[in-house]
Amino acid sequence: MLKEDLIKKNPLRVLNPLTPEAFPDHRMGLVMARAGLGKTAILVQIAMDSTLRGQKVLHVSIGEGLEKAKAWYEDVFKYIAQGFQLENAAEIEDEIMRNRMIMTFKESAFSRPKLEERLNDLVYQNIFRPDIVVVDGFDFSKADYDSVMDLKEMTAAMNVQGWFSCLRHREDNRVSAAGVPAPCHEVDGLFDTVIIVQPEKESILLNIIKDEYDGAAGKILNLDPSTMMVKEA
Amino acid sequence: MKTNLDNVRNIGISAHIDSGKTTLTERILFYTQRIHAIHEVRGKDGVGAKMDSMELEKERGITIQSAATYCNWKGHAINIIDTPGHVDFTIEVERALRVLDGAVLILCSVGGVQSQSITVNRQMTRYRVPRIVFINKCDRTGANPYRVARQVRDKLDLNAVLMQIPIGLEGDLKGVVDLVTMKALYFEGANGEVITEGEIPAELREEAAAKREELLDAASMFSDELMEAILEGTPTDEMIRKAVRTGTLSLELVPVFMGSAYKNKGVQPMLDAVTEYLPTPKDIKNTALDLKNDEKEIILIPDPVAPLTSLAFKLEDGRYGQLTYIRIYQGTLKKSDTIVNSRDGKKVKVGRLVRMHADEMEDIEEAAAGDIVALFGIDCASGDTFTSPEISVSMSSMHVPEPVISLAIMPVDNKAQVNMSKALNRFTKEDPTFRTYVDHETNETIISGMGELHLEVYIERMKREYKAEVQVGQPQVAYRETITQRADFNYTHKKQTGGSGQYGRVGGYMEPMEEGEYEFADQIVGGAIPREFISSCDKGFQKSMAKGTLAGAPITGVRVAINDGASHAVDSSDVAFQLAAIGAFREGYQKAKPVILEPIMKVAVEGPTEFQGPIMGSLNQRRGMIVGTVEEASYTSVEAEVPLSEMFGYSTVLRSLTQGKAEFTMEFASYKQVPKSVSEEIIKKFQEEKQKSK
Repeated sequence: MLKEDLIKKNPLRVLNPLTPEAFPDHRMGLVMARAGLGKTAILVQIAMDSTLRGQKVLHVSIGEGLEKAKAWYEDVFKYIAQGFQLENAAEIEDEIMRNRMIMTFKESAFSRPKLEERLNDLVYQNIFRPDIVVVDGFDFSKADYDSVMDLKEMTAAMNVQGWFSCLRHREDNRVSAAGVPAPCHEVDGLFDTVIIVQPEKESILLNIIKDEYDGAAGKILNLDPSTMMVKEA
Repeated sequence: MKTNLDNVRNIGISAHIDSGKTTLTERILFYTQRIHAIHEVRGKDGVGAKMDSMELEKERGITIQSAATYCNWKGHAINIIDTPGHVDFTIEVERALRVLDGAVLILCSVGGVQSQSITVNRQMTRYRVPRIVFINKCDRTGANPYRVARQVRDKLDLNAVLMQIPIGLEGDLKGVVDLVTMKALYFEGANGEVITEGEIPAELREEAAAKREELLDAASMFSDELMEAILEGTPTDEMIRKAVRTGTLSLELVPVFMGSAYKNKGVQPMLDAVTEYLPTPKDIKNTALDLKNDEKEIILIPDPVAPLTSLAFKLEDGRYGQLTYIRIYQGTLKKSDTIVNSRDGKKVKVGRLVRMHADEMEDIEEAAAGDIVALFGIDCASGDTFTSPEISVSMSSMHVPEPVISLAIMPVDNKAQVNMSKALNRFTKEDPTFRTYVDHETNETIISGMGELHLEVYIERMKREYKAEVQVGQPQVAYRETITQRADFNYTHKKQTGGSGQYGRVGGYMEPMEEGEYEFADQIVGGAIPREFISSCDKGFQKSMAKGTLAGAPITGVRVAINDGASHAVDSSDVAFQLAAIGAFREGYQKAKPVILEPIMKVAVEGPTEFQGPIMGSLNQRRGMIVGTVEEASYTSVEAEVPLSEMFGYSTVLRSLTQGKAEFTMEFASYKQVPKSVSEEIIKKFQEEKQKSK
């Protein structure tokens, strides 16, 4: 399969149509799931789809090491290359890696000013100008409305899309009017797109419960539990 | 002397440069009474530490070659391989790890886990070496063994478990609390040789109890007996040690010890730990390939009466001829035995057999499975297997990386010329990553290796040990060439005027190949090229692969197929078809869009967070692709892939950018196509040099 076909056939087209003008550059997206249900896998697939389309992605990993983040990209690419019998796989992988940068922070070392400073380092020295920032491991249970608002303002000011993952806890049943569960029930208004990952008997569902731009709200995707790859439902 | 294998330990001491492993080894030799006075690496007494036997190492304060040494501790025989800390000498580290059963990973309590420790750890994991950690330099300002233990968990992904906690830190370091016996240990006497046991200081009791809980939790995962005893409140010291040992041997637990070798604190308990937790030769499964049975893997039995199988893992050329370090895996090696080198089948007689103690030695009569000894006067290469004549096995080959950098050297006079040849002959035998050849076009001697420092050290050694003064050229990157598309060729080589004629026509195509260097396919049907000349074509193509037309670099990744041709009853010959193939290759190569490939290095730069911006900028300027960054409180590391050609002199640049506070390591990652602008420059330079040599 050619790269172009792969992009067209990606089930994530529901969220990210090929007409990027449909939504502003600084969209905020959120993927919520309980532990072990594939938050990182989904973020990496969103990131990889963007890099394939020539966009630059900054992957921010909080609390996990560089090697782990790299391994996710390698694994996801391996599934794609083998599953779709991708032509020129080595060349495409190289292109993806050029469009991706990983930043890892210790939990205690992460803050908006820190991230902004790092982003400025990259942009001002013309090293890397991201179109999308993917943030994996941000602890929403310890964050208040203002700190999430702060991050939203930063992505808007820098004109980048922001995608976040959020860990849900089994025992916390609070939910917002829009159906967004804790710990994001109070900050749901700050996100344009919210995906809830729900395990069913034999599969994992990606429930798009909110989407301000592409009318994807209400649509459902699937996650293959053995490979953690997104599929059409 | 028959040794009980339960009491033998073959260990390596691996660590980041400057984390104090030579100092630690010095202390070990002192406490095990192999030496009778302690000399520091950069000591004022000018004697230098015992393990740094080479003059150069003494001067630079770094350990370049691994020297094997033997000592005794509480009834256990310990063979120690001191390994270099710099990544340029990785082959030395890898060779040492291959023959070791266990290792002590030394970390600095201030610097913590740095990139070199990560490389070394990865190598240990590759060779499945069980390890213990010793956090050294706890007397230094800023020492924090707890932070380092956390880093071992986070960065090295090891299940690190504290076996001790410090009593005081930095200037106040007094000793350690043993979390198994729950006793305080103090190190007294002029050299810390007197160990006093005492009660845990009151202010540390709570912390010690908490850390012991963590230890018991971790250890109980490896022993049901211990888990039950904990529930009943009756765990014994023996049960804990046994469980920690099981965990360590399975590579699922790493016990952590601490102290300060320089201040003589904590070294003896670490030696106890070596005998307590690291494997005996019996605990490790070693395999060899049976050469009589299609290289089938066989398991070696560490039994002294079984047929001998041993591996020569290091060579040194000393005053009395070549010294070969050898690890015995099976059987017994005796003086005046006849043994066979399984690489070439040559029989050799064992002359002198010695046990090494840094640069001194002790003659022995025999050595058995599990031991590391040295042989005199045996001509072999490093990595050769020696066996008894009745068996034919080979230890699996070691992973040897290809050199990525080269430079030209010119001896200053005739005497230097002779000495230089001697030196190169020895170095290439000792170190498979160090290579040398004469460039026939320029008549220069070229040396190649794994990095700038690697080559610099050999040039220094030539001067000092062999009195071979040489002029050194600019470092050259080992470029490669390859093709990017399929191309046809159809070439006729014809020389039929005067004398015996030459005639051959070769037709076919070449195409890129992702894996492998060269492949030849014979698709001739109907005898267009007579059978006897097919191999001539193959030879001609292979000769063409040696030197590309863009930069004169070796060509790689090409599949050549021939499917047509013509011959002449009288004028066709082996030479004629070789020349036709060379012509055909040249014709096809031009059409196949050849490109230049360059070595890309994986570079890791570490330093204070405030310098992250300049560090990233400096890598970016060097055509580097930044893979990622790791940020902790005040410390950051940047990982990037950078072309080797851009890394010359980087250490100086980095030093001035970061006030000397950052450091970097690099290792070869892959070959990648050079960008067009750079490629044009390389081609231009190559053409100019070609003109000049004409």
